[in-house]
Amino acid sequence: MLELSGISASYGAIRALENVSLSVAAGRIVCLLGANGAGKTTTLNCISGVVPLTAGRIRFEGEDITGWPIDRIVARGIVQVPEGREIFPELTVADNLLLGTWLRRRKGGAARDFERIYNYFPRLRERARQPAGTLSGGEQQMLMIGRALMAQPKLLLLDEPSLGLSPLLVQQLFGIIARVHADGVPILLVEQNAAVALAASHHAYIIENGEIRLDGPARDLEQNEEVKAAYLGA
Amino acid sequence: MTLLILQAIASGVVTGCVYALIALSLVIVYKSTDVINFAGGEIVMIGGYAGMLALLYLGLPYILIFAFAAIATFALGALFDRIVLHKVLGRAVPGQSILVAMVIATVGLSYVLKGGVRVVPYTEEVRRLPPFFTGEPIFIGPVVVQRQDIAIIVVAVVVMAALWAFFSLTLTGKALRATSQNPRAAALVGIPVRRMRMTVWGIASALAAIAGVLLAPKLLMTPDMGVIVILAFAAAIIGGFASLPGCIIGGILLGVIQNIVGLYVGSNAISVAPFAVIMLILALRPQGLLGGRVAAKKV
Ligand SMILES: Nc1ncnc2c1ncn2[C@@H]1O[C@H](COP(=O)(O)OP(=O)(O)OP(=O)(O)O)[C@@H](O)[C@H]1O
Ligand SMILES: [Mg+2]
Repeated sequence: MLELSGISASYGAIRALENVSLSVAAGRIVCLLGANGAGKTTTLNCISGVVPLTAGRIRFEGEDITGWPIDRIVARGIVQVPEGREIFPELTVADNLLLGTWLRRRKGGAARDFERIYNYFPRLRERARQPAGTLSGGEQQMLMIGRALMAQPKLLLLDEPSLGLSPLLVQQLFGIIARVHADGVPILLVEQNAAVALAASHHAYIIENGEIRLDGPARDLEQNEEVKAAYLGA
Repeated sequence: MTLLILQAIASGVVTGCVYALIALSLVIVYKSTDVINFAGGEIVMIGGYAGMLALLYLGLPYILIFAFAAIATFALGALFDRIVLHKVLGRAVPGQSILVAMVIATVGLSYVLKGGVRVVPYTEEVRRLPPFFTGEPIFIGPVVVQRQDIAIIVVAVVVMAALWAFFSLTLTGKALRATSQNPRAAALVGIPVRRMRMTVWGIASALAAIAGVLLAPKLLMTPDMGVIVILAFAAAIIGGFASLPGCIIGGILLGVIQNIVGLYVGSNAISVAPFAVIMLILALRPQGLLGGRVAAKKV
């Protein structure tokens, strides 16, 4: 459903992506693994329209979306959960979630979405009236995912959701990611935590220095000697 | 003596409400764009003249005069952001601050507005708008209050309440706050960040213009009346330049301080009072009276 063909991107003189091709089939969880600075976030930002391409095309559900502005891409159904703690700290948890519905605000139905998000993340229901800045790191991560789901995405882009979370929380979070996927949302997952990401995905890509090094079914890559040595610490 | 003090406080509250409106205008721009708007005072002046134009040439009733001035300056502020500040932002070089360029652009705007008003023939004559209300002053206990002053307070309170309702109850208001707290995250949920910035400039300019129309019957109108903005800066700084309730408290406090200084020290000292307040607050309590700590700005 999503297809990047030969995309490149740079920040001024720094080349960040070089001829990256990658695709996410409908109904899949695909992960993009790589070390710090490999170009994972840049790839997601190219898809979301935050970073412009210098070459290549991006197609979504058969439509060429290359060069579209961010809001149009979100409206089309591709929603990114950025890296870090990108929340609205002084707004309440509920208002943070509500803003996820911005682009479909005239259509209504937010109440049903709130119910759905609170089902995934009961903690957010308890904290609904609290300023989002007072949440713990893990809760903020959940809030960002919840906010993205409020937009009713057709494809969810997750940038290092496990960053800074305890192993137990990472496990919980990936349990929820699996539920979200089972409820019908395909996912492109960016991770440094290769073991967890490979276990959760169908297909995986490995990016190094802005280029795709390797790709294949996640089960195969888990057994790949190179991947084991470089990313699984074996 | 106590009567004099009460009287000074009452009239200080009236002018303070107007300072508060201008301070709100400065602070909502600062909070959402990091830009200190040095043209704030000139937008007050433009608002006053727009009101005068509406009264003299269109003969509108006062309520529509406020609307006319607010809409005209909303467009002015939004266009300034769209035409000038967006251009400056577009020239951004990574790692280099464009804030200085943006602030200088507002200084430029202030001169353009002042110069522009000067070349309009009917501003040569110094004028004053007629009061909104005439008639016997009202006694609140022993304190005498002009009907005009009550009208000023009512308008200011209505505007502040509307602003509060907009920012805390409507989705657009929440989206504006979200944009100022985290523009990147706002963009990723599909909020049009640039249009939000234009809207903030528009709302801020409309607030300043309403203050201008409120001032026009009290002050002599000249193209230089924008210097009043220094009082709003003082009010905003009392509030820590970040808090909207702080602006209101700061404005009223400043209005009262001015009058008390006038009463005890002499009327020459009145114009020094805001500068003294600014320096005192910055030296002793830079986070403002309400702020808990000096907040590090995130980018
Ligand atoms: N805004 C920017 N300006 C200049 N260079 C950038 C910018 N953002 C990223 N880069 C550079 O582009 C390259 C890829 O960065 P990117 O953020 O995509 O890496 P990443 O794989 O997401 O890394 P991490 O795991 O640390 O998040 C890096 O060399 C980085 O220094
Ligand atoms: Mg990254």
